[in-house]
Amino acid sequence: MAAYPDFLVTVPTQGDGRDPLRRDRGEWRPRRPLPPFVTDLRPGAFGPFDHLAQIGRAAETAAIGGALVPFDPAGEESLVVAAGLLRQSRHLRVVAGFHPGVAAPVYAAKFSASLQRFTDNRLGWQLDVDLDPAVARSQGDFLRGADRYARAEEFLTVAKGVWHEEGYTYEGRFYQVLAGGFQAPNSGLPFPRVYLTGTSPEALALSARHADVHLFTADQDVETGVGELAAQSAREGRPVEYGLRLPVLARDDDDEAWAEARRLWDLAGGAGEGLPDPDPRTRLWGGFDRIAGSGPFGLVGSYETVAAGLRGYLDRGVTSFVLDARPHIEETYRLGERLLPLFAKEIEHAH
Amino acid sequence: MPIDIYWRIGTHGDQQSLRRRVSSRGEWAPVVPGSLAPGVRNGRRDGYSYVEHMADVARASESSGFVGGLLPSFPFTDDPWAAAAALARETTTYRFMIAYQPGFLHPVQAARMSASLQRATGGRVVYNIISGGGGPAQLWWGDRVDHDDRYARTSEFLDVLKGVWSGGPFDYQGRFYQVEGAGLPEPLARQPFPEIYFSGSSKAAIEAAGRHADYYLSWLEPFPALAAKFAQVREHSTAIGRAPKFAVRVDVLARETEQAAWDEIRRGWAHVDPAALRGADGDSVGWLRSQSFVSWPVRDYRELEVSPNVWGGFHLLRGGPAFGLVGSYQQVAERLDELIGIGVDAFILAGVPHLEEAYRVGEEVLPLLRGHEIRRHSSLSPISATKGSI
Repeated sequence: MAAYPDFLVTVPTQGDGRDPLRRDRGEWRPRRPLPPFVTDLRPGAFGPFDHLAQIGRAAETAAIGGALVPFDPAGEESLVVAAGLLRQSRHLRVVAGFHPGVAAPVYAAKFSASLQRFTDNRLGWQLDVDLDPAVARSQGDFLRGADRYARAEEFLTVAKGVWHEEGYTYEGRFYQVLAGGFQAPNSGLPFPRVYLTGTSPEALALSARHADVHLFTADQDVETGVGELAAQSAREGRPVEYGLRLPVLARDDDDEAWAEARRLWDLAGGAGEGLPDPDPRTRLWGGFDRIAGSGPFGLVGSYETVAAGLRGYLDRGVTSFVLDARPHIEETYRLGERLLPLFAKEIEHAH
Repeated sequence: MPIDIYWRIGTHGDQQSLRRRVSSRGEWAPVVPGSLAPGVRNGRRDGYSYVEHMADVARASESSGFVGGLLPSFPFTDDPWAAAAALARETTTYRFMIAYQPGFLHPVQAARMSASLQRATGGRVVYNIISGGGGPAQLWWGDRVDHDDRYARTSEFLDVLKGVWSGGPFDYQGRFYQVEGAGLPEPLARQPFPEIYFSGSSKAAIEAAGRHADYYLSWLEPFPALAAKFAQVREHSTAIGRAPKFAVRVDVLARETEQAAWDEIRRGWAHVDPAALRGADGDSVGWLRSQSFVSWPVRDYRELEVSPNVWGGFHLLRGGPAFGLVGSYQQVAERLDELIGIGVDAFILAGVPHLEEAYRVGEEVLPLLRGHEIRRHSSLSPISATKGSI
């Protein structure tokens, strides 16, 4: 069960590094070599997953609630990464992002039943429905428009159907199952916590029926989205929690955080342009896509400043925060040691 | 002449930075939200202990280019043998430099533990033999042997350890140890003997090092003092036909710019208790030496910079030795190169916090080293040594 508020970190699927120009952890780019006269025992002894494993362990050690491994067709495969991170942890919940086109719903459920059994039910799904059309086609998926949500609806219905019912039969537009359903010990497990995204009417309708958590990004109108989804989920008679994917850069004080933002901005090629200002009302800063390759809008400042920004979202009903900070190992430790304790009171009250 | 570069794994918790001397990693401070290993989840301890963080540090330094880690041993630390046995299973190539005093263990038992660890790790055990800092800490361990005798005992200890290593039967009649028909059983006896890093700054230590050290290990000192110490060891060793290599423990605070590095020191200095500006318990010659390079008391942190980037105040910001390097990545690499130039063959580097700084130093400083060229052009004669010799 997730604590309140729940914090997750984002796992990088295309390597990581100290600065925007050096993403050389995880073998997506060559590492700077050691000089030849220095003993280097690494070649042949390490693979790219050793780096991902260290990120997962950092999150586990730093008492972070969970980790999101996003669906990234050009990066590491998220279900396999999730399986590895779950295996080496005891508490961490891992959310694997994937697209309904990549697997049959029965198989996705079957794969997940094994992971739930292996890991004391710590797996989550983030189903990505609204892919860029070119990316979708590159994955063999030519479905367009509202049909994608209709298929996602069927995908989740079938996956939950075989999960919960023996002798399950389904006849839909996209999927058909005859006398399916899992048997012990693959039956009776909690279904993976479902994370969904999007602000279109179709996206909110799907979340109302199927999401455990609906994730927003900071450039979206979170308040309106929460209001609409709350009304719809009430009509469906099931609760939905709200979450936010948010890049953060937190330091001891505001000056230091902004100095680091400027340093990364300049390194990423922004030196000639000057650092953009944060929005005076929301405190959101729109430069993260450039310095971190994440969504553009996030929070920069002292731990207290970032916590105040998160409290603003908590007040609007958001309880899950999927934070993104590079380099992931160091920043995960930082978030666990400095940011999370600022919410200790809230977490205590939720239990 | 490959240079082996080790990291240090703190065995008594860690701070988040040098800015505040507050431990939040491990059980050396109250476990509260924000503590790690053990951490707090939903108001309860998460079931982990400090070894989990040591494993994070071991893997961080292993993957950033260090060959292994020093595991220090003091009354208030976790035990290095136990830690090495646990961390062996968490790493692949990483060597464990186990600090211990001969008084802790009978040499036959030390041989058995070492051989088993060699089997468990594929030969990744290294010794840091210390003969004890003396003073109250020696009696804390229940060790009543006095300073010079401790080095004599260390010599006997290593004679016995090496004697039983090859299988025996081995007999020994010494002042401190007697064994009869001793020897490791097959297949323990077929393991490679660990390399020996030998510490100690006194005359007795240097004599013992001459006989047993693969590496003579010193804390960082101002470079001329270090060079003089190495010369003394070299002279003594040559006289008995041996040629140890040299290693130095160096704390490092490296940042992109020199200014940023000193800013870290400045922030930490603001919290130093003025009353703590001097402390020299025990009969450790190394510690007394390290304090003698500075004219105490000092008023400003820059007074502890005895030569460019060589700073003698690290012990005021965290537990451990006094001297280390402070500067830009480039400056720190240049100072390490100078140390290679005066004969250093291996480093044990360290930084606080150990996890984050392992990545930083491995990624930013080590690739800048040019030491080989410096050694080739220096007037020092090349130093050869046997590796792991018995």
